[in-house]
Amino acid sequence: MRRCAQGLALVLILVFTCAYILDDMALLLAGGTLLCALSGQYLLFDHRFRKVVTSIQVQRTPERSQVRKGTTLRVSTTVSVTVPHPMSVKITEQLPPQVVIQDGNTEADAGPDPAPQTCQFRYRITPVVHGNVQFPGISLSVRNAFFENSIDLFSEAFSGPGLVIQPVGFFEPSSRRSSAESREVEKLKVVSGFGIRALREYYAGDDFRRIDWKLSAKHNKLFVREYSGMVTMPPLLIIDLPWRGAPYPEHDLNRMVSAVTGMAEHSIRSFQYVSILIISGPNILHFTPQEKDLQQGIAVLREWMHPVERTVHQYRIPDRADIRGAVRHLEMVIIEGKNSRVNAFSDSLRKKYISMLAHMQVPAFAGQVARTLASIEIDEIYLFTLGCGDSSHIRQVIRQAKIAQMVIHTRIPDARVHIINPDSIYKGADTLETFT
Amino acid sequence: MKPVIWDYGFLAALAVGIAGITLMSASPVWYLTIIFFCLIAGVWYGTRTWPDRAFYLVCAGEPLILACGSINLWTGLFVIWMVAGLVCNALRILVLHEEIRFFILFCGATVPVAVLARVSNHVVLPLLLLCTVTGIIIAIQAIRNYKFRKQYSGVRP
Repeated sequence: MRRCAQGLALVLILVFTCAYILDDMALLLAGGTLLCALSGQYLLFDHRFRKVVTSIQVQRTPERSQVRKGTTLRVSTTVSVTVPHPMSVKITEQLPPQVVIQDGNTEADAGPDPAPQTCQFRYRITPVVHGNVQFPGISLSVRNAFFENSIDLFSEAFSGPGLVIQPVGFFEPSSRRSSAESREVEKLKVVSGFGIRALREYYAGDDFRRIDWKLSAKHNKLFVREYSGMVTMPPLLIIDLPWRGAPYPEHDLNRMVSAVTGMAEHSIRSFQYVSILIISGPNILHFTPQEKDLQQGIAVLREWMHPVERTVHQYRIPDRADIRGAVRHLEMVIIEGKNSRVNAFSDSLRKKYISMLAHMQVPAFAGQVARTLASIEIDEIYLFTLGCGDSSHIRQVIRQAKIAQMVIHTRIPDARVHIINPDSIYKGADTLETFT
Repeated sequence: MKPVIWDYGFLAALAVGIAGITLMSASPVWYLTIIFFCLIAGVWYGTRTWPDRAFYLVCAGEPLILACGSINLWTGLFVIWMVAGLVCNALRILVLHEEIRFFILFCGATVPVAVLARVSNHVVLPLLLLCTVTGIIIAIQAIRNYKFRKQYSGVRP
């Protein structure tokens, strides 16, 4: 019952009370007819409410039926509804508790129209818990001038389909797993080089300048060199998006969007394509390899460039190489042996580090980055980050880029340069640049 | 379906009816009905852009209904119909032919109430009867709602 109907109900009670006390038939008539009007409006509203509910048809289409935990997927829901004249309807898509919504619309309003209306919900969700997930259905709220009613439509006609969410480990599996009779060997994808040179016998018509005279003299037969073609290798743009759950500099994010867009546009114009890897902390959100269409590239950036929900968080996770470096430093201190107390402490710490090294596992994020870098032909990376929050993942990206022998440039907002310590976090990067 | 608009129809009919009632009744407080009509007309004009307009119109209409109902129950019933039409028109819920049918149904449903008030000597019995009928309707609706929700809501997975 809405405010107007509540007020009328109060008037009705007042009129009936006065009629009872004063024993006045005019008051009884006024109250009785008001009761008729309110009851009639309620019955009419209920009748139309049922008509609205029975007219609803829902069709829901997730992008995939099986995803890994933390993967963002697009869902499209079409709701068809017929709304009678004085009613208005609000439809809300209900999401399972195991997912978080990244963006998009899950609410729609529909006004009165005798013809069936279609409402479209397009949104993206990220599962945060593994297991089987079922889309529960929709919520419907119907109102007119006097009454409102809502109902959760979770029956079979409005729910589904199911979504299978595969678990994701926090660490990479060990490279060698062996049991009594079998052994598992995992290899990264081999990327063929682009500077391959072939030698073959001379055929009539070949360019004399390509004859390898030394080899020809050795074998007493003419050999020519086959040069590989020149290829352009555009940079990979890695964009580290801020977490939605923590404060972030909004102004810097806007500038990062401009900087990334400009770089993507420049890359497509200069190199014909661009590769974009979107991460948020230790979560890989989206990867667009070798996008040639500028509009598509801009659309991807427009779709993703906003704070997102993170399913995995890291806090000051050291790298194996860092630990090994610390061990080497402690060994040097022990060898120098200036102070016995310092030596004892360094030795104890070294042992702790060594025992840590024995049990340290590679984070899954580092493995994902390594596989991503191995799948494309690049030699230069631009990493855009706001530099807020934990930076363990930045370190892992830089480390994997250096392992793959790529040049990596990190770009942060100029306002953050004075806050972060570039020596500790970004020391592996080739350059630390700012965007304004 | 072509919508029907009654912008001033009910107000004009009410004005004519009030003038007739005032003349025919020859009441010593004849001016009261005129004042109450001016009140509802003023509220009708003044609340054009307000939310919950129905509440203000009903509140403004009640004194006029009581004044006319005190003169004669049937004149009171006439005023009720006109005020109801005014409210429906103000809310634009008297546009489609189906809605006009429901309005006529409401007018028909108020006749037994007026007859009940006419034939009763005291208020208690008709009041009890009205409350009982309303209670039965609410109870039936509660059961219907339960079944309806059970069918459509299901169980949240």
